[in-house]
Amino acid sequence: MQPALTDPLRGLPGTFALCLAVLFGGLAAIYQATAGGTAFTTETLRRTAVAQTPTLVPDFAVVNAQGQVQTLPQLLAQDGRVWIVDFVYTRCITLCLALGTVFQQLQAQIVAQGLQQQVGLLSISFDPLQDQPPALAEYAERMRMQPALWQLVSLRNEADRRRLLDSFGIMVVPAPLGEFEHNAALHIVSPAGRLVHILGLDEGVRTLEMARTLAAAPAAPQPQPQPQPQPQPQATLP
Amino acid sequence: MTGAVRLATDPVRRAIGRRGMAGGLAALTALAALALSLPPLRPLIEQSMVWHMLVQMPLLVLSGACAAAAWAPARELRWNRFGLTGFMLAQCIVAYWMIPALVDRAVVLPSADAGKLASLWLAGAALRLGYRQAPVAVQLFFIGYGVPMMAWLGLYLASTDLRLCNAYSLQSQLRTGWGLVALAAALGVAWALDLRFGSGLPRAGAERDQALYPAGR
Repeated sequence: MQPALTDPLRGLPGTFALCLAVLFGGLAAIYQATAGGTAFTTETLRRTAVAQTPTLVPDFAVVNAQGQVQTLPQLLAQDGRVWIVDFVYTRCITLCLALGTVFQQLQAQIVAQGLQQQVGLLSISFDPLQDQPPALAEYAERMRMQPALWQLVSLRNEADRRRLLDSFGIMVVPAPLGEFEHNAALHIVSPAGRLVHILGLDEGVRTLEMARTLAAAPAAPQPQPQPQPQPQPQATLP
Repeated sequence: MTGAVRLATDPVRRAIGRRGMAGGLAALTALAALALSLPPLRPLIEQSMVWHMLVQMPLLVLSGACAAAAWAPARELRWNRFGLTGFMLAQCIVAYWMIPALVDRAVVLPSADAGKLASLWLAGAALRLGYRQAPVAVQLFFIGYGVPMMAWLGLYLASTDLRLCNAYSLQSQLRTGWGLVALAAALGVAWALDLRFGSGLPRAGAERDQALYPAGR
């Protein structure tokens, strides 16, 4: 036993130094991966990232309940309105009902505040296999959409689905009873096709406020009213 | 129970030795965990948070721990006095992979998944090296922090109606929450049992610490 007592501190300073290095390394890794300790879920990371650097929505064809086809940027740029966008599938009986209710309230608010010229609502279906014009029409009626105010479109080609979801950062996972679960949120998109803010479903009032502010200051985000009506879009694949 | 197991495995133990068994277990668990990240089994961890966080991740930690038991030198490691470095490293890595955004990333990004495989295996090895050199007080400090942390996270996953991982359904998250609580409880109990009925193997550096701090184990 005695020889051991001759070096009671053996290895201890080195161990302490190494421990500190490990601790700070770990904290730095976590800090880096969580946007400085502010975002611990993918959803908050997505919202933070978009708020910092708005992304361009992809360019591909969408179809509405009347069967009219146009590209997504064309639709967004049609009359200079700022859009509040959400993602749905018409068979949905759970979360999309909540989303639908939020959008119904937003629709009522827009009418009440007389914002029809400034803010529009757009629901995009991510289930092109099921959601073709007849299904869209039925859903629009069920939700009591006012077509001028609240538009509903689906993808023209099923192959665009992945691109749509990736560009907005939506993850769709299968749920029981053939349903889907997905991160539902309110997306503010400028007429220029820029996704500028993402807010939670419970933030309808704030979302409308922000969209209205954005519409009132059209020069701020994008000086040109129609930056990308041309056929060849830049690739926005991740 | 333990006696019976010990009796049944005795011949094997004599034939290949304690370290040999640990090595075999390390290889088996590593293969199982790796297989879960590759086709055809990958859909399991992509679709179920339980398979990801309660099967694959613990398998990786277990594999690392077994590998350390099998192949680490028996002497006390200098850079790991009182097991501090080992515990600290394990704690950091495990905390990292409990963050929902990073669990999502491991599902979506193959490079993140590879990092997860390597780092959690390393966490297991570090945990084992820390544990075997740590006096009871140090064990209490780290286990007393880590186990409640895991249980708290589990209760949070199970009780919130927010979907924390975009890759998993709420129901999957709920099950994982309760599973984490159970796992935390099991780890706490396992530690208590080891303290009381432990293997009786001398802890690395124990003799010296005993002389220095007679109140230790």
